[in-house]
Amino acid sequence: MKTTLSISAIALVSATAAMAQDLPQASSQWFADGQAHIEAMMARQPNTSRAKNVIVLVADGNGVGTNYAVRLMDGQLKGMLGEENVLPYETPEFHSALVKTYNINAQTPDSAPTAGAMNTGVKQRFNLINLGENAIHDDCSTVAGNELTTFAEIVSGQMDKSVGIVSTARITHATPAAVYAKTANRNWEGEVPEGCTAQKDIAAQLIDQMEAGVIDLAMGGGRRYFAGEDVTLDEGGKGRRPDGQNLIEKATGMGAQYAWNTETFNQLTLDGTTPVLALFNDSHMEYEADRADDDEPSLADMTKAAIEYLSQNENGYYLEIEAGRVDHGNHDGNAYRTLTDGVAFAEAVAMADELTDDADTLIIVTADHEHAIAFNGYCGRGSDILGLCYDVAKEGVGHSDELLLADDGKPYTVIGYLNGAGSVLKQVEGGNDYAGSRAELTQEETTDMDFVQEALIPMSSETHSGEDVAVYAKGPWAHLFDGTIEQNVIFHVMNQAVTAE
Amino acid sequence: MLTRRSFLISAAATPLATAARAEDEMIKVRDLYERRGNDLSELATGLEGKRIRVEGYMAPPLKAESNFFVLTRRPMAVCPFCETEAEWPNDILAVYAKRVVEVTPFNVRIVTSGVLELGAYKDPDTGFLSMVRLADASFA
Repeated sequence: MKTTLSISAIALVSATAAMAQDLPQASSQWFADGQAHIEAMMARQPNTSRAKNVIVLVADGNGVGTNYAVRLMDGQLKGMLGEENVLPYETPEFHSALVKTYNINAQTPDSAPTAGAMNTGVKQRFNLINLGENAIHDDCSTVAGNELTTFAEIVSGQMDKSVGIVSTARITHATPAAVYAKTANRNWEGEVPEGCTAQKDIAAQLIDQMEAGVIDLAMGGGRRYFAGEDVTLDEGGKGRRPDGQNLIEKATGMGAQYAWNTETFNQLTLDGTTPVLALFNDSHMEYEADRADDDEPSLADMTKAAIEYLSQNENGYYLEIEAGRVDHGNHDGNAYRTLTDGVAFAEAVAMADELTDDADTLIIVTADHEHAIAFNGYCGRGSDILGLCYDVAKEGVGHSDELLLADDGKPYTVIGYLNGAGSVLKQVEGGNDYAGSRAELTQEETTDMDFVQEALIPMSSETHSGEDVAVYAKGPWAHLFDGTIEQNVIFHVMNQAVTAE
Repeated sequence: MLTRRSFLISAAATPLATAARAEDEMIKVRDLYERRGNDLSELATGLEGKRIRVEGYMAPPLKAESNFFVLTRRPMAVCPFCETEAEWPNDILAVYAKRVVEVTPFNVRIVTSGVLELGAYKDPDTGFLSMVRLADASFA
């Protein structure tokens, strides 16, 4: 039966090929590219070996819409029109699925339970990390008995794998924290409420997990939650721990290496023998657009160092890498920083892919949630993704020189937000009424790095949205990503990959 | 809408536009800082003590009925999911106005005019530490 099927499949393919040659569109490059894509898809073989390594790369807030904008930004920076660009994780080598990101009690998710779902295999509650469904936000008394076991704990235990975390946000922020922490409030980064003994703060949990041998490498921002309020930190800022503990000294005291800028980062010994704690900023690391190379390493640089370090373990490793500030750029309504951080994320994915072998490493690329970002029309090809929407040209490919105008006679940008600081409605003096009209925007102004895209509903910070994100994967068991899945399924693919017989 | 670069070019191109006439040129908050990192720009050190015009956004004031506010380069979005507490960007400009400040919404662009002061100063009322300030300022 199987043989018959194969034969008829071959017959069908050759019949299609023969027929294709007769079609008037067969000489088009689009047609040839389409056929080449089919061949690439047919050549894919499911990899059912056991994964030695698992790398999860999360761009925070990079849902399908934001990722579309990153694709255009990356392409336009490379001199393309943009739409045709293929990000490193959008090639036919990657399997993919759509991901439903809602939390147990939230239609619009936040980054704590979403990252927790990926790290434990179950959906979680809004603003909590790695606690079961009976735990309550901000209630320390509901911690005991509700702690979940993390993927990091699973693989570092019996499997004796190494575990690393990299983030451009504070290392105590939601997405990185979900690798190692269990907390009733994602904001308990450097302290817990008085009388709360069931859990420690997130920074203290990281150092505990490092001491326990669960976490081997942690690189990101958030230095201030690792030292007391009277401690002057490496770059002149003060610590924020009311308990006065110096966790950096605690880590180095147990043999960890510590880095705080590019120079000390370059001095790290990456032979995998001692834990690594690298805290490059008091709070989040800089946006890629504002980052100086001699001050902080890039996300791709950290990715390279982390893989070099973790791959010393012959039993393999689990590494979570977060581009934490795609999200922050969106919250600011500032497409420029959102997309430049998105491009830096794509470069980190390419780096991770280049340094690993598909045969033994499962690479998963995803986001935790989307934002209230949206796109105007009908823009011509190559309209600057940061700038104004130009009309479609009748001839040729690129957009015309004519700006499209709204009913108010004014041009508008390609990207807009449904809410946020860029609201066209401003508070009227002396009241709570909001009113306004749109500005006469120029291309120079809208492509400026500090431009805030127009939004509708006035809010001090743009919000997440419940819209789907995508997941892309290659390596062992990556083919299990297909269709539309719940976010916690990502854990189950990782678990299948590392336990497959 | 001059960038730092075009400001320098136009200043060089017009012999009369010396630093003494800097109040006629408008700069952005970011022009006072290096492009990357947190150091002050040459432009800032060159304009110390001079009256200049700077465009930016008024962050929600720390204290009511005060003549002090902070000018930011982008609207000061307050994101509950990014921050556990009020988080100031590094590249800001403290403004000490001539009169008690009438609050402008945080996302409306304003232009301030004042005398540029450099060096650490702790605001006696709020404890806010600034490195760059506009003194004797007015805004519109």
